[in-house]
Amino acid sequence: MAVEDPTETPRVRIDGVGKQYDSAQGPVQALDDVTFDVEAGEFVCIVGPSGCGKTTLFRIIAGLEAPTNGTVSLDGDPVDGPGPDLGLVFQEYHLFPWRTVAGNVGFGLEKTDTVDSGERRRRVQELVDLVGLDGFEDSYPRDLSGGMKQRVALARALAVDPGLLLMDEPFGAVDAQTKKMLQDELLDIWTETGKTILFVTHDVEEAVKLADRVVVMAKEPGRVREVVDVDIERPRNRSDDAFGTHYQRLLDLIQE
Amino acid sequence: MAIDVTEEVDHTDDTVAGALADIDPQRALRGTAGLLAFVVVWWLASLAQPSYVLPSPVAVGATFYTEATSGGMLTALWNSTLHWVPGAFFGTGLGIAAGVALAWSPLLDDLTSPVVRVLRPVPPLALIGFAIAWVGINHAGAAFIIAIGAFWINFYATYGGVEGVSEDLLDVARSLGVQGDLELIKAVVLPAALPEITTGIRTGIGRCWMLVVASEIFGVAGIGRRILRASNNLQVDVVITYILVLSLMFLLVDVAFRTLQRRALAWR
Repeated sequence: MAVEDPTETPRVRIDGVGKQYDSAQGPVQALDDVTFDVEAGEFVCIVGPSGCGKTTLFRIIAGLEAPTNGTVSLDGDPVDGPGPDLGLVFQEYHLFPWRTVAGNVGFGLEKTDTVDSGERRRRVQELVDLVGLDGFEDSYPRDLSGGMKQRVALARALAVDPGLLLMDEPFGAVDAQTKKMLQDELLDIWTETGKTILFVTHDVEEAVKLADRVVVMAKEPGRVREVVDVDIERPRNRSDDAFGTHYQRLLDLIQE
Repeated sequence: MAIDVTEEVDHTDDTVAGALADIDPQRALRGTAGLLAFVVVWWLASLAQPSYVLPSPVAVGATFYTEATSGGMLTALWNSTLHWVPGAFFGTGLGIAAGVALAWSPLLDDLTSPVVRVLRPVPPLALIGFAIAWVGINHAGAAFIIAIGAFWINFYATYGGVEGVSEDLLDVARSLGVQGDLELIKAVVLPAALPEITTGIRTGIGRCWMLVVASEIFGVAGIGRRILRASNNLQVDVVITYILVLSLMFLLVDVAFRTLQRRALAWR
């Protein structure tokens, strides 16, 4: 749960973020005054209907796009571009197809001169084990299923030990059974590593299952409707009453 | 974590199976049959012609043997290689470098695009005058002509490949700490564009063998020179012999390069 201490700098502060696009029909307000914090170690989901600017917000937080107004800061420092402080995981995996599983996971470590090759190998093996892919170190992405590709992408993002793991509908392209498995694994990894996770999804059930807090967005313009705490003990079961109550509450907020 | 992921693997064929599939016995058989039929048609056609119009396959075979054993063929081949190698090497290298630079930098692309459009349609042969004036009637002059041919093929292949590199992969690389143009090109752009780049190299080295003939028009010794001289003397058997030499060289280099290419692109 979030530590409510105003003197402490949050891991992520999204402050008054707005984004305006120019289109043929004139300017479009994609995001308007989006403000919320994510505390260190917290798991926060962003949900909202399609067109609410979730992906735009993801890209702004990741430093891939600049906001028109407002700022995003990580541990008090403004984000001005992508970098190893932010681990990105996309729905479409975006693995490097010419690299093996181990090569993908080790990619970020090769860019930091602080680790020697022995240490790097050890770290890569650790991460490959963490995501349950031992035995597939030398496989190329083309030989992996969607679920396995996403595990590689997760391990690759974790390799550089980012302050924030930013995930954009990471389980949106896999089948229901794999999705459930990946959600459980992600929670295990989160518990094990204590990472701060900001997770974009359109799946309300996924948000209730995973998050400490859920940021519900509304569209036209994309904005924060409400931030909902999910106070349910983990592991969470969707047949529990509390799960159903939260689920319904979020659904109502989205459909409002 | 105990997760069984084995069942999730797609068992697509690996490289060894891929290589073996290339030697399909049925295809090989048909190919041999087609080749034989071609030689038979050639032989039949040659029966009704004088040998300075179309010599028979047997006559060409005899000439091939004579040329091969007299050392004439080896000399011609060696001379052609002396400008084919540097021409292909520098043309390919510069073409790839220019393709990467212009596809990567919009500024460079804008600056050079009018010049590129003017120069592109110029056939390498039209530049023989420059080759003679700037470099001279020697291996370097012939290499210059060959290099021009290789340059454009590699330039466009690389340009297309680099343009097609996914922005998302670049974003991922940046988020993993890759900084600066050179680093991104090395870590992402070149490997991602490698299929297109190697296809360009392969097409280019084939084109270079064709340009060997053209590049020797102004008097540099080699296979092309030999073909041109034999043409003037109506020695059609010699012409065909050296055309065969060119084809065999092309085949040899192409197979060798394709093997390298397959190894480099094993991930596909």
